[in-house]
Amino acid sequence: MDYWWDILNLVLIFSIFTISLNLLVGYTGQVSVAHAAFGAVGGYLAAYLSTRADCGFWTVLFVGAVGAGAVGVVMSVPALRLAPEYLVLLTIAVSSIVLTIVGAVPMLGGAYGMIADRAANLWPLPGGDLLYPHQWVLPLIGFTAITYLVCHRMGESAWGRTLRGIRDDEVATRALGCNVFAYKVIVFGLTSAFAGFGGVLLYFYNQIASPSVYGLNVSLKIFAMTIFGGLGNFAGSILGAAVLQLLQPMLEKVVRLDPGHAFLIQLVIYGLGLVVLMRMRPEGLLPEGASLWRWERPPRAQPPSVVETSAPAISPVSILPSSVNERDDAILKVRGLSKSFGGIHAVRGLDFDLSRGKIAALIGPNGAGKTTVFNLLTGALRPDAGTIELHGEDVRGLPPNRIARKGMVRSFQDVRLFGRMTALENVMLGIREATPEFWRWPSGTKGGENLVDLFLRPAEAARVEERTRTRAFELLYLVGLTNCAEMPAGALSYGQQKLVSFVRLLGTGADVLLLDEPASGIDSRWVDGILDVVAFMRDAGKTICIVEHSLHVVERLADTAIFMELGRITAQGTIAELTSDPRLSEVYFGTV
Amino acid sequence: MWFQQVAQLAVAGVINGSFYGLVGVSFGLILGVTGRFHYAFALVFTLAAYVVSVLESVAGWPATLSAFVGLAVAVLVGVAIEEFVYRPLALVSGKLSLLTVFISSLGVTIAGINLITLVWTSGSRSLGLVSLVPLHVGNVSFTSLDLFLVATAWLLIAALAGVLRGTDLGRTIRAVRGNPTLARIMGTDPARIYLVVFAIGSLLCGFAGILNGARFAVLPDMGDRPVMFAFVVAFLGGTRRSPFAIGLAGLFIGVIESLSGYWVSPQWTSLVVFSVLFVYLILHPVDLRSLRQALSPERSEIRRA
Repeated sequence: MDYWWDILNLVLIFSIFTISLNLLVGYTGQVSVAHAAFGAVGGYLAAYLSTRADCGFWTVLFVGAVGAGAVGVVMSVPALRLAPEYLVLLTIAVSSIVLTIVGAVPMLGGAYGMIADRAANLWPLPGGDLLYPHQWVLPLIGFTAITYLVCHRMGESAWGRTLRGIRDDEVATRALGCNVFAYKVIVFGLTSAFAGFGGVLLYFYNQIASPSVYGLNVSLKIFAMTIFGGLGNFAGSILGAAVLQLLQPMLEKVVRLDPGHAFLIQLVIYGLGLVVLMRMRPEGLLPEGASLWRWERPPRAQPPSVVETSAPAISPVSILPSSVNERDDAILKVRGLSKSFGGIHAVRGLDFDLSRGKIAALIGPNGAGKTTVFNLLTGALRPDAGTIELHGEDVRGLPPNRIARKGMVRSFQDVRLFGRMTALENVMLGIREATPEFWRWPSGTKGGENLVDLFLRPAEAARVEERTRTRAFELLYLVGLTNCAEMPAGALSYGQQKLVSFVRLLGTGADVLLLDEPASGIDSRWVDGILDVVAFMRDAGKTICIVEHSLHVVERLADTAIFMELGRITAQGTIAELTSDPRLSEVYFGTV
Repeated sequence: MWFQQVAQLAVAGVINGSFYGLVGVSFGLILGVTGRFHYAFALVFTLAAYVVSVLESVAGWPATLSAFVGLAVAVLVGVAIEEFVYRPLALVSGKLSLLTVFISSLGVTIAGINLITLVWTSGSRSLGLVSLVPLHVGNVSFTSLDLFLVATAWLLIAALAGVLRGTDLGRTIRAVRGNPTLARIMGTDPARIYLVVFAIGSLLCGFAGILNGARFAVLPDMGDRPVMFAFVVAFLGGTRRSPFAIGLAGLFIGVIESLSGYWVSPQWTSLVVFSVLFVYLILHPVDLRSLRQALSPERSEIRRA
C-alpha cells in the first residue's frame, strides 16, 4: 500500500511545482525551465539549516521559500525584456549555475548531496515524526491546497487579469497604465518561492538533497507536466503532474518487463508518451477556462451578429467627471519635440498644443512621423529633445505606464485588444481606482490589483471588482456592445474591436486620448458610429488627437489640423484653411 | 612556465571553441530559420557517433565510409523529426508551438537516447576517425585530430556562410528566416525550406557528434554538455546572424572556459561559461523582437513612402 501512497505524495509535491509554474507560464506568458533548481535552493537551505543549525521544520520551510524567492527576483531582472526562446536559455543557465554551485561546494556534500539527520516533524501540529508515506499524505494535501489557493487567488482576480494582459500583449498592457515590470518581478519571485517550498518538502520527503534530485531533467519534467496539464488552468496542472507521474508505475505494474531492461524501456515509453500526448492534446488536458467538474469546452465565440451601434446610447451613463477642473485651454503643450533614428530625423522640433474639449487631427503623408509622435508622447519611444507638458507637468522620459496614469493614453493602429480575454475583461483591465497610499505598490490602486487588498482585505477587493465590472459594463453599453461582453475579443469584428479599444481608453479615466487611425479599415456604415463615439468623448471634455488619412473623417471631427511633412509641422489651422492652401492641395489633398 | 601554461590552455580553448562554434552554428541555423527549439539535437549528435562506432568496430567498415553513413543517418533522423513530429504538432498548436515543440523534442530525446542504450548498452565505445599523431609547436602540444577538428569546423562554417550568402538556396533560406508568410506568398514553401534547414543542421550536428566521439568516447549521455553549449553559443552569437558570428561566439566561449581553468578548478569552468551568458543577457540591450514590433508602424510607413 505504501507504494501507492508514495506515488500520491510525489504527485502532490510535484503539483506544488506545476501549479506555481503555471502562474508564471500560463498566466504571465514567461517561460522557466529552472523550477527544480529553485527547489534546490529551498531544499539545500533546508538541509543545511536542519543538519548544521538544528532549525525546526517550519523555520526551514519559511527560509527555504524566501531564499528561493530571492533568487527568483534576481533572475527576473535579466528576464524582464526577453522573448520566450531566450527565457528558456536563461533559465537553463540559471539551473546549471545553481546545480554547479551546490554540486561543487564540499560543505553541501558535493555530487552526493546532503542526507537528512531527522524526519520532518510538524509540531505543533499533531502527527509526530513523518516516517512513512501514509503519514505524509494529509500534510501534503494541506501544502498543495495552500499553493492552489494562493495561485488561484492571484490568477483569477484583477491581478490575474493584468497578468493575462501581459501575456497577450505587453505593450498594450503598459499603455493602459500597468507597471508590467513590477508585476513580472513579483510573479517570478513568488513562483520561485513556491518552488523553494516544494524543494524543502522534497528534501524532507526523500531525506536527501542532491544535485540529481533537482537536476535539469526534473525541471524539464515539471515543465512538461505543466504544459501537458494545460496552461492557464491550475486543475490541469495537478492532472498533468498526476498523469506523467503515474506513467512510470503504470508501466511497471501493467507491462511485465525483463527486469534488467525494464527501466530503459520505461523511459523509452515515457519519451514516446510525451510526444504522443502532446500531439493528441496540444492545448493540454484542461485548456484555459475548461473545468474538471463541468466537462465542457470553454465558450467558443460564435460569429457575432452585426450589432447596430450607429446610435450610441449616451444619456444614462454619468461618464466622465473630469479630474481637473480649471478651464486652462492647453492641456498638453509640446515644445521642441525631436527624435532621430540613426541618421533619419523622424521628428524635428515639433511645437503644438492640445486643448480641452477639442479634437486635433495630425495629418500628412505616410512617413511624416505621425505615429512616431504618438510613440514619443506616450513614452514608447524616448524623445531626444523637447518638453511634453501634461497638465503643466513635464512627462518626457517617463515610461508608458506612468504617462498613462498621468492622464494620456493611446489607441493603436492595429487595435491590440487582448484576444483571448473577453471584451468585458479588456475594458476592465483599463479601469483602476488610483490611490496614493504607498502600500498599494506596485499597482497604486485599490482592489485586487494590490496584493494587500487581494489577500488581507478580500471584501474590499470584491467591492472594487464589482465596481470595476459595473463600470466596464456601462462603458460597453455606451457603445451598444453589451451583448458581446462575454465574447473573446479576438472573435469580435474589426469595427467592434475598435469600439472596445476606445471604451477601454475611456475606462482609464485619462483626459488626453490619442487615437491612431480611428476609422481606418472600417466600412462606411460603421465609420459614422465610430465618429459619433469620438465626438461624444470630445463633448464629455476629453482632449483628443487623432492621426487620420480620411479627409472625410478629419473634416467632420477635427477642430484644428496639424500638417506634418518629413518630421516637421509645416502648417496648422482649421481644416478649411489647410485645404485651401494651394501648396498643400498639391502635395497631399489633391485637387478637390 | 606561466606563459607556456596559458598558451597550452589557449590552444585547448581554440580547439574546444571551434567545436562549440560548429554545434552552435548548427543549432542556431535550425532555431533561427524554423523557430523550433530542437532539444533532440542531442539525440542526432549522439546517434551519428554511435552509428560510426558500431559500423567500424562491429562491421569492420573503414572510417571514411562509416562516417558518411553516420552523417546520412543524422540527416535522415533530423529531417524525419521535423517532418513527422515538429511540423504536424506546430500546425495544431498555433501560438503555443514553441513550448509544445520543445516538450515533444524532449520526449523524442528521452526515447531515443534510452533506445540507443538499450540496443548498444551504456558502456563506453571508441571511434577512430583520423590517425592520432601528437603534434608540438614550441611547448604546446595537441593532436592531429585536434588540427583536423579546427580545420573542418571552420571550413564547414565558412561553407555554410557561403551557401547562405551566395546561392539561390541560401537566399531563399534567409528570406524564409526573415518573413515566412511573405516567402510563402512569393511562392516558396517554408515547410520544404525547413526540411532543407534540418538536413543541413543535422549534417553539421552529426559531424560534430562524430568528432566528439573520436576525441573522447561514445556514450549515451555524450550529447548533454555539447547541446548546452550549442544553446549558449547560438544565443550569444545571435540565431539570425551570420554563421561566422556564431562561430566566433563559440570560440569566445571555448577560450573563456579553457582559460578560466587556470584560476578555478575544472568543475567550476562551466559555471564561468554560464555566468558569462547570464551577464550577457542582463546587459543585452533589448529583446530584438519586441523592439521590432514596437517600431513596425514607422518602418512600414517609411518603406511605403
